[in-house]
Amino acid sequence: MITGTAITKTFRQRGGVLGHREVPALRGVDFAIERGGAVCFIGESGCGKTTLGRIIAGLETCDSGEIVIDGTPMSGLSPRRRRPYFRRVQMIHQDPYSALNPTRTIHQTLRAPLALRARQTGRPKPWIDARAEELLALVGIDPGYVLPRYPHQLSGGMRQRVVIARALTMDPEALVADEAVSMIDVSLRLGILALLRRLREQLGVGVLFITHDIATARYIGDESELYVLYRGQVVEHGPTETVINEPVHPYTQSLLSATPVLHGLERPGPDRIVPTEALDERHGDAGCLFARRCPLATERCERDRPVLGHDPAYPTTQRHACFHPRRRQVIPLAAGA
Amino acid sequence: MERHLTAPGVRIRGLTVVYNTPSGELPAVSGVDLTLAPGTITGVVGESGSGKSTLALSMLNAVQPPGRISAGSVEIDGLGDVVRLRGEELRRTRGRKVGYVFQAAQNSLNPLKTIGAQLLDLGRSHDVGDLRALVRDARELLGRMGMDGARVLDSRQHELSGGMRQRVGIMFALVLDARVVVLDEPTTALDMITQATILRIIREVHDERALTTLVITHDVGAVAEVADDLAVMYGGRVVEHGPVAEVLGAPEHPYTRGLIRAIPRLSGDLGLARALPGRPPTLGTLPAAGCVFRERCESSLDLCRTAEPVPAARAGRTVACHLPGPHAVPVKRKEYA
Repeated sequence: MITGTAITKTFRQRGGVLGHREVPALRGVDFAIERGGAVCFIGESGCGKTTLGRIIAGLETCDSGEIVIDGTPMSGLSPRRRRPYFRRVQMIHQDPYSALNPTRTIHQTLRAPLALRARQTGRPKPWIDARAEELLALVGIDPGYVLPRYPHQLSGGMRQRVVIARALTMDPEALVADEAVSMIDVSLRLGILALLRRLREQLGVGVLFITHDIATARYIGDESELYVLYRGQVVEHGPTETVINEPVHPYTQSLLSATPVLHGLERPGPDRIVPTEALDERHGDAGCLFARRCPLATERCERDRPVLGHDPAYPTTQRHACFHPRRRQVIPLAAGA
Repeated sequence: MERHLTAPGVRIRGLTVVYNTPSGELPAVSGVDLTLAPGTITGVVGESGSGKSTLALSMLNAVQPPGRISAGSVEIDGLGDVVRLRGEELRRTRGRKVGYVFQAAQNSLNPLKTIGAQLLDLGRSHDVGDLRALVRDARELLGRMGMDGARVLDSRQHELSGGMRQRVGIMFALVLDARVVVLDEPTTALDMITQATILRIIREVHDERALTTLVITHDVGAVAEVADDLAVMYGGRVVEHGPVAEVLGAPEHPYTRGLIRAIPRLSGDLGLARALPGRPPTLGTLPAAGCVFRERCESSLDLCRTAEPVPAARAGRTVACHLPGPHAVPVKRKEYA
C-alpha cells in the first residue's frame, strides 16, 4: 500500500526584475493506493497531476508532506535507502515511441532489468529469458514475434505493452501510468486499459492512472477512486462511477461537459456547463482557485478557499471543495431515450 | 443561408496515392471517391496507417516523395483539378484557395519569429498588396477566436499555450480567405476543455465564412461533435460515408461498428466496450486481394477473401462491404436519468 499525506510542491520560475515567481504545483494532496487498487487523477495540463506521479515514482521530491510505501515513511530515509522502495513503483510514460531505446531489440530491453532482478533474488541465468517470455505473454503479445524486433518494427499499442512488460520486470507494487493511452490509436486504447485492469486482478498491482480524459478512467476497473485536480488542489474525490455519474463540483462538471457527444448514439446531458477556457493562467491565488472560470462563483468564492471535505448532502464516500455544490446531469444520455 | 452558395464543393474521384518502398510501389490511398458537399464539414476517421493524412495532403497536391498521386482527380469548384496543377499555379492555390492546418500545429510555427512576422512572410509570398489589411484581418480572426490579436501577433510560439497555437494555425489557414480548409488532427494533444473550445470555434468560423471543411482525426468523438458527414477510412479505402448521426447511430460496415464499440465513453455498458481486435494494417501487411478488413472482421465470408467489395450508395450512405446492414450495435444504451 502506498499513501501520500499533504503533499506540496512549488516550482520556482526565474522571473524578470522582480526575481523569482513561485508556481505552486501541488497544494496539499492526500491519496492512498491499496494493493491491487486503482486511483485516477484527472485534470488539465498544468494541474499538477504529472508532478504528483513523478513524486510517487520517486523521480521528484515533495517540499512537504509524506509518502509512505509499505508502512515505511520516505522522508526519514536517505536517497540511497529510498531507492529499493521507489523501485517498487514503476512509471509508464505517455509516449511509447520515446520510452524504448531504438537501438536495442525488445529482448535486450527486457534482459537488462531482468538480469538485475535475477542477481537481487538469486535466480539462475535461464530464468531471465523464461521470465521475459512470460511477461510478454502476460501483457498479451507473442514473445516469439516481439523479442528479436526493434521498437520501430512494432505498432504503438505493442510498444506500450512492451513498456508495461518492462515495468513488470521489477515486480512492482504499483504502476504510475501517466497519460498511458493518449498516444495510442483510439481503437486500441481499451485493450491497454483492459490490460491494466487484468494486472490489478492477477498480480495485485496497484495502478495510479493520470489522464485528462475522464472517460478512460471508467475502464481501469472496479473499486477505483477518482481525484479531480485543479491547480494543485483536489476539488472532488470519490468512487469513479459516482464522481462521473453524480458530480457535484462545477469544475468536474465542466470537464465532463467538454467530453464530445457521439451524436446519433448519444445526446448531450441536460445540465451541461459550457466550460470557460483558461486563457490566462496567472489568475490570483485568493479565494477558490476555480472562481475565475466558474459560472456559479459568488463574492464568497472570490474571498475564501473551500476545503476538500465531506458534505452531509452527499454520500460519505464523496468529498468536494465547493461552496455551491449541486448535482448536475452533465454526461451524455442515450439517443432517443 | 445565401452565403452557402459561395462555399465550393469538392469531388475526389478514383484517387490513388502510392509510396515507393523497397518492395515496390504500395498504395496508401486506393481509388477513393469522396464528395464534400458545399458548406459542410466532413470528418475523416481512421486508425494510423488508414491513409487519412495522405488523403488530406492530396487536397493540396502536396504528397511528398517517395509518395505520389498515381491516379484520380481532386476537383474543387472554381479551381479545377488540383492534381493537375503545377509550379507557380499550385503554390498560389495552397493557402489562398485551400487552407491547411497541420497536424501538431503546435509545432509547425517558426520558433524564432513572432507570429506577426510569419504573417507578413505569408502575405509577401502570396503577393498580398495591402499588408496592413492582412494584419487587420488576422487580428480580427484571432479576436473572433477569443484572443487578444495584437498581443498574439507580437508573441513567439513558446509564449502561447497549445490551444492558442492551434488557433494561430487556424488563423494562418483562413487569413488569405481560403474557402476549402483541411484540418489534420486539430485537437490531438489538447485538454478536454480546450478541445471543446477549438471544436466550437471550427464550427462557428466554418459557418460564418461559408467554408467547405475536411477534418482528419483518429478520434471519432472529436469529429462527432463538429462534423455534418463522416467518412470512415481503412487500409486506404473509404469503407463507409454518410451523415454523422446516421453513421454513428446505425453503422453498416463492421469496421465502423468495431470502431464505435472501442471508444472510451462516459455512458454505456462497460462490459460491451472492447478494443478492435488485431492491429491496424501497414502498407506492407495489406492483403493483395479481397476485402482489406477481412482479417479483423467479425462476420467475414468466403467471398471476402477473393473479391474486394465495391462502395455502394444507398439512401445517402455509401458502404463498401459484402455483408452491410444495420446489425445490432453491441454498445448497449444505458439511461442515468
